[in-house]
Amino acid sequence: MTFVRDDLRPVQRRAVAILAIVAVGLVVVLLRLWVLQVVQGPRWRSAAENNRLRRIPLEAPRGMVKDVRGEVILDNRPAYQLLLFPEEMNDSVRTAAFLTRIEIAPADEVRARLEKASRTSHLPSVIADNLAWSQVASIAAHRAEFHELEIHPATRRSLPPGATVAHLVGQLGEVSPEQLAESPNLRPGQLVGRSGLERAYQDVLGGTPGNLVVVVDALGKQVSALDEEPPVAGRPLGVTIDLALQREAVEAMAGQVGAVVALDPRDGAVRILLSQPAFDPDLFAGHLEPARWQELTSDPLNPLHNRAIQALYPPGSTIKPLFAAGALRDGVRTPFDTVYCTGAVTIYGHPYRCWLAGGHGRMALEQAIEESCDTYFYYTARDAGIDRLASWARTFGFGTPTGIELGGENSGLVPDDAWSRRVRGQPWYGGETISVGIGQGPILVTPIQLAVAYAALINGGDLVQPHLVPDKGGAPRPTGLPAEALAHVRRGMEMVVAGDRGTARRLGNLPVRLAGKTGTSQVMRKKDGVKWYELPWEQRHHALFVAYAPLDKPELLVCVVVEHGGDAASVAAPIAARILLRAFGPQVKQGEVAAAVPPIWQNTSLPPPPAPKGQTSGPGETLPSAAAVEPARPSSHAAARSLTQQEHPKQEPRTRQ
Amino acid sequence: MRRLDPWLLLSVLAISACAYLAQGSTARALAAPGFAHRQLVWLAVGVALLLLVSFADYRVLARFSPLLYVVSIAVLLALFAIAPLRGGTRAWIAVGSYTVQPSEFARVVTILGVAALADEYQQSRLNFAAVWRITAVVAAPALLVLLQPDLGMALTFVPILLAALWLGGLRWRAWIALVLGGAVFVAAAWLWFLKPYQRERVLTFADPQRAPYSSGYQQRQSKIAVGSGEITGKGLHSGTQSQLRFLPAQYTDFIFAVWAEETGFVGAALLLAAYALLVMRIFVVALAARDRVGAVFAGCAGFGMSTAILINMGMVTGIAPTTGITLPLLSYGGSSVLATCITLGIVQSIWRLRFANV
Repeated sequence: MTFVRDDLRPVQRRAVAILAIVAVGLVVVLLRLWVLQVVQGPRWRSAAENNRLRRIPLEAPRGMVKDVRGEVILDNRPAYQLLLFPEEMNDSVRTAAFLTRIEIAPADEVRARLEKASRTSHLPSVIADNLAWSQVASIAAHRAEFHELEIHPATRRSLPPGATVAHLVGQLGEVSPEQLAESPNLRPGQLVGRSGLERAYQDVLGGTPGNLVVVVDALGKQVSALDEEPPVAGRPLGVTIDLALQREAVEAMAGQVGAVVALDPRDGAVRILLSQPAFDPDLFAGHLEPARWQELTSDPLNPLHNRAIQALYPPGSTIKPLFAAGALRDGVRTPFDTVYCTGAVTIYGHPYRCWLAGGHGRMALEQAIEESCDTYFYYTARDAGIDRLASWARTFGFGTPTGIELGGENSGLVPDDAWSRRVRGQPWYGGETISVGIGQGPILVTPIQLAVAYAALINGGDLVQPHLVPDKGGAPRPTGLPAEALAHVRRGMEMVVAGDRGTARRLGNLPVRLAGKTGTSQVMRKKDGVKWYELPWEQRHHALFVAYAPLDKPELLVCVVVEHGGDAASVAAPIAARILLRAFGPQVKQGEVAAAVPPIWQNTSLPPPPAPKGQTSGPGETLPSAAAVEPARPSSHAAARSLTQQEHPKQEPRTRQ
Repeated sequence: MRRLDPWLLLSVLAISACAYLAQGSTARALAAPGFAHRQLVWLAVGVALLLLVSFADYRVLARFSPLLYVVSIAVLLALFAIAPLRGGTRAWIAVGSYTVQPSEFARVVTILGVAALADEYQQSRLNFAAVWRITAVVAAPALLVLLQPDLGMALTFVPILLAALWLGGLRWRAWIALVLGGAVFVAAAWLWFLKPYQRERVLTFADPQRAPYSSGYQQRQSKIAVGSGEITGKGLHSGTQSQLRFLPAQYTDFIFAVWAEETGFVGAALLLAAYALLVMRIFVVALAARDRVGAVFAGCAGFGMSTAILINMGMVTGIAPTTGITLPLLSYGGSSVLATCITLGIVQSIWRLRFANV
């Protein structure tokens, strides 16, 4: 049997060619699978994980802060945050419109936040803090439309009302890229301390943020929770601050611009740290809006500035006890050397006037401190020379930061010949030495430096390190000042209050015996015949007063600086007195303490100092009038008399009523 | 039974098993358990049909191919009138409670028609008239499918035409003319026939960053699925990409991604091997065929199926554009499964009758 078959060989040949092509294709697919699944497998696996896993950050509640008596300064309260998962966002314009509509922020601000969030790739970002209930409800209702939005319970800092502890506690802010690079515990968008205690003790207060890992499907719907890494709450922090005193300081300052620092002179434990004007700390409790930030930074009074540790002031007459101690140590003066003050003196061919135009008469060291005689210290400065004055200033810690835990501390300025040549390019001019002798000229200190310097005067000569957390002070550094010298200076400071002619003798009849030193530092050159209260506010002198109590074994030292306060004894001294009265006086209510020490203008027809921006309460409004307290206060006459004894370098204040 | 090719049957059964498992997984993801069971029924019916057709005589079928061809063209034309618009195309009609995709069957008939036509040209090369007739026979249903519009399905007619012309034999001049003609046709299609979204798909393939959330997104999700399967896979029903529905069209076009994700390189390579075995056996049948009808049918069917497999897998693994070409037997769809099984039944018939004397 024979088959009749076509000649299929050409067809078969061509079929083999096709099979060869197909075989090549199959090998290509096999290689492709190899590359995807074996070579690149791990990379695609993590891509798949990113697809399905969402890490919801769980912010750690920050630690609470308590004052020295255990009173809570800083706590947390619950709040709702809005998180955005940028990868899930399909239409940012629509999302922005929605967020604007529910009033998360103005339109351009919302856009800016979305844009910023989109830059951090797959990590969720906090878009808004502190959502109102209506906003939470709106977002929940539109959940299906906006997979990228997630409401997340969190906590927010809760502070005492007002600005009492604003600078002390400091601000929170979003972690900076540099901080992120440094610390593996931090993550983008997290709030960390940016200043104050929040920053200094970020490690203690911050805690460790956690994570909630959830599985989501392609629509962004949460399918299940996979893993929870609970956040570790920040630890509580006990500080040396005395909140009751801090409040008293706020009330006594009555909205004036300046700073109050109080510390325990024995170890440097800070009891009050106040700077005014302050910001509303609640602004920083969550994520700050740039508009508010702009507002704060453009305020001419700079409320973000912590004047207690950052502002520089000429110390004025408050430097006199320090230079007196230095002069005794170095033998420039003995306690009994005298100078005759006629009210004016010519040194290096220039006239220098004592603040008391008629002159103080014969002055020894203690008296010169009591009456704040400029002439005495002009001569002392001349005899010491600038380099010795500078060394005394440095002995008391001026020119270097005190080392308090808070960041941004200023070191101040101790001028000398070397400084003048370096910075100004000219040798020191001898006439300036005389100004420095009474705390004027280029010498600049911070309020906390002044407090530390005075602590050394009254604690036996040790330079303590001011600190906010117990045992963070370190060992005090002895200044080597002889005890005898310190005793003379202290007696002088006691006479400032107790003496017949003391510059703060109006405080002499208070229920608590205190001592201290006034200082009125010049802001601009004096105009003759113009009274301080007639000057525009910004041209008035700074009013300083450093005081302490009890006299024999001082436990609290208060340093008050009132910017453009005009006059130390009538403006700054009552503030310090109120605080010391609060600390050591008979148990009285807050208002009564105020009544005991009214600022001087209440006995006169002086206008109250202008209230800084936004604050309507001048001292005249918040404090009871002098008339009301007069019968109860036998010292009011003395206080009124002290009007005529204002210390005022180079100006005659006698004419005041 | 004994005269059938066991390797071809074995590969079909292996692929069917994989199809059932993969469809079971995607059915779970889509919360539609009926899908996997229906696919299993189609596969069972398909294998039965395969065996039934393999006992028919392919030469008889070829003889009736003109009639079948006319009927299928008529049905394709009728679709424009009677088929409802579904997913943007008029490709489906309801038959009882089922929806049928006539283009699948029209393709089998087209292969059969091409094979029958080839028998008329016993020369070693096709002449001019033969080229035109073969081209017309393939182009008519393809154009009707293109107009439905179903680009993916229409594209599957192209390899059939190429294989028919190649197997019949063409001069180089003719190939050049064909390529030019094809280029003109593609350009015309690009300008006038392709929908914007279809153009976008092609462009996106060329530049995946172009549209990360549309077709580029689909392909990226598919690559993530395949790649994240790594060597041994995530386990059946445990593929995150499929179960959490990141994978698009996962029971049809992207079913291979589900399989590759859950069974890894091992499973994907085994499935690829099963397809390779199937394709290889079809070409072995083409070589063993006793006549030109059988050889051309098997060659065209083999090349058509191979290109569908390669393009689909290429699309899933990101080396070919998303064209909507499904994976034979694995992708969900009764019409597709049945048409594929009929084709393979005819191939078996060619094998069974390879020594038969007319």
